[in-house]
Amino acid sequence: MNTALRKTVTPWLFTLPAIACILVILVFPVLSGVRLSFFEYAMRDFAVGRDPVFIGLDNFRILFGSANFRTSIQVTLVFVSSVVIFELLLGLVLALLMEGGIKGLRLFRTLFILPIMIAPVVVGLIWRFMYHPSFGILNYFLLRLGLEPIPWLHSTEWALRSVIIADIWQWTPFVFLILLAGLQGVSRDLIEAGIMDGCSYLQNLFFVKLPAIASIIAVAAILRLIDAFRSLVVIYVMTYGGPGVSTEVLSLHLYKTAFMAQRLGRASAIAVILLAILLLLSSVLVVRTLRAERK
Amino acid sequence: MKKKRGKTRLLVLVLAVVVAAGLMAGGAREAEEAPDRVAPEEFDWRQFEGETIVFNFPAHAAYNAVAPLIPEFEELTGITVETDQMAYMRLHDSQVLSMSQPQGDYDLIAMVVMWKAEYADGGLIQPLEPFFEQPHLAMPDYDFDDLVGAYVENTGLVGGDKIYLGGEGAELYGIPLGAETSFLAYRKDLFEEYGIDVPETYDEVVEVARFFSEEVDDVYGLAMRGASGHQATHAWLLHASPFGASVFDENWEPAFTSPESIETLEFMKKMVEYGPPGTASFDQDGQFNAFLQGQTAMYIDASVITGLIGNPERSAITGKVGYALHPRARTGLSQTGGFGIAIPSNSQNPEAAFLLMQWLTSPEIERRAVLDGAPPVRYSTVNDPEMQERFPEFKVLAEQLHYANPDWRPIIPEWGEINEMLGIAINQVLTGDKTPEQAMRDVEQPIRDVMQRAGYYD
Repeated sequence: MNTALRKTVTPWLFTLPAIACILVILVFPVLSGVRLSFFEYAMRDFAVGRDPVFIGLDNFRILFGSANFRTSIQVTLVFVSSVVIFELLLGLVLALLMEGGIKGLRLFRTLFILPIMIAPVVVGLIWRFMYHPSFGILNYFLLRLGLEPIPWLHSTEWALRSVIIADIWQWTPFVFLILLAGLQGVSRDLIEAGIMDGCSYLQNLFFVKLPAIASIIAVAAILRLIDAFRSLVVIYVMTYGGPGVSTEVLSLHLYKTAFMAQRLGRASAIAVILLAILLLLSSVLVVRTLRAERK
Repeated sequence: MKKKRGKTRLLVLVLAVVVAAGLMAGGAREAEEAPDRVAPEEFDWRQFEGETIVFNFPAHAAYNAVAPLIPEFEELTGITVETDQMAYMRLHDSQVLSMSQPQGDYDLIAMVVMWKAEYADGGLIQPLEPFFEQPHLAMPDYDFDDLVGAYVENTGLVGGDKIYLGGEGAELYGIPLGAETSFLAYRKDLFEEYGIDVPETYDEVVEVARFFSEEVDDVYGLAMRGASGHQATHAWLLHASPFGASVFDENWEPAFTSPESIETLEFMKKMVEYGPPGTASFDQDGQFNAFLQGQTAMYIDASVITGLIGNPERSAITGKVGYALHPRARTGLSQTGGFGIAIPSNSQNPEAAFLLMQWLTSPEIERRAVLDGAPPVRYSTVNDPEMQERFPEFKVLAEQLHYANPDWRPIIPEWGEINEMLGIAINQVLTGDKTPEQAMRDVEQPIRDVMQRAGYYD
């Protein structure tokens, strides 16, 4: 083998194990999921040894014809957009407040991380108890203040809001931490230059700090977006999708289709749709950030 | 091959029955002594000494009570029993996975009755009659007929009048363990204080519920489940049975739009109105707590709650509860449900598992498990005066068992999906999002589509 050829082949040889790993653990499962979405396959077929039946696009047709699935998409979009927007805003405000290095920053930071560290099942349970119509602490305070108790989890009007509030509670600290790190990384020189030029706090914020951490905000947004689309456990524990289907996000709808209705093919179709929505949204965000960066 | 052998066996069985009937006509005593059982003292418990079996079961009062007794079985038989206990919603997945392999991990499984048709239909579990027919395997003093008939039909029989019922052609696949029916539990103290009679009909239930919710501070009517999905469907089935409503008619056409079903839903709406706040979001735990914490005056649902009522750590109403028959509307039919045990077809030690199966549900072990909180599945236990003394609710239970309805829910393989669909619609009624008529009409076609695709109308 001559040197030139060896030079081109060797790097490939070295990366081959990594590529094989990625194929096996990532590409193959995704592709087989996509393939399964064109089949009718129940869990009991698997047990009996019956093969999946090819049904073309029927799964997708049934899904888009189903009122519950359409509601589920709607619920997911409302849930994801609300939590991402509120968490970014709140996280940013908190990060700006803490950025100056106030007293006891360490303590606050530790306290803020707590919600992220609690297991999702526990978060669901904590909030379920707090929202409890008779024994919950939230309605207790409302009554104490002379206000009407709120049917947090058992009215169609409130359930989704309550679920959103719980998610904001849990994940704002995550956004806060990322943004705080970003803000602290902004060069002092830039900010001082702004002050020298007579920038007000707001001008400094909007024209210096925020543009400087734009890419970090985008990363936080993408991470939260992806995570929010997949969130399942907290909602599962708090409402199990109810009342009716008013908090049934796509991932929960998928879970129920796969494990309650035992329709693995149709569940795969939901997964494919979820993947498509996520790819679309996150690629839009990534492309925009990159473009902004280049400017 | 297997089928054919089964048929021959069935023929032999039929012949045996005919002969036995003839004998009985001749002289009952002779038939009783027919030599297909060995004498109790001659039964060979140690025939499978040294073998190992695996038992998969849920965290549930019945199984928590029998699990500590299993070492005695090991001592008696020399069989090693490995136990695999898990949350009951996880059983299904791991059982299906294990049972679809050539050689399974499990030799004995506890299944929710909802799964029996799916398992038996797929050949995942074994018919039990061939075991009972072999004298060296059948425990002599087992007394099968003492097992509550409705429970046996509901947990064990497959392929009779309907796929999930007994009748002609039905085969036995499971034995009840942790099975239950429903009845009324009420707050004796409150009923006495306000001079209220125990309701016998659904109209009276409505009246009592209205009274407590309107007249008594901090006490509401009925503790009911209502959460979207399985829980709401369960509550509906529980009341649909007395109101005479059902999910399907005899041609598998949806029947839940019937006037009886609408009436059931109207009743449930009233119970939400007169119930504690959040009734429409209660799962079984929420329902239990509402009654156990003294929020409601009544509870109509699974009899398994008695263990909790008696436990002062879980209940604020220990000693204040009376029991009565499930109230009547058009019928007085109550629930059948809960768990049964079965032997997977790919079990590696089915005969040893069969010994454990009988031992666990034998009269003596049942008695001891019941004393430790398990729900009874034998007539002799609920009718025993000593037990009735200790568990006053057994008197009511003994009577209620006459009304336990084995056809309480359609346990067809498609039930998992329909259960959820129906439960969403019922929950929408309870939260007031839809009228009963509207909600039932909206879900009729989707459910019919499921049945159509499964081939029920061909």
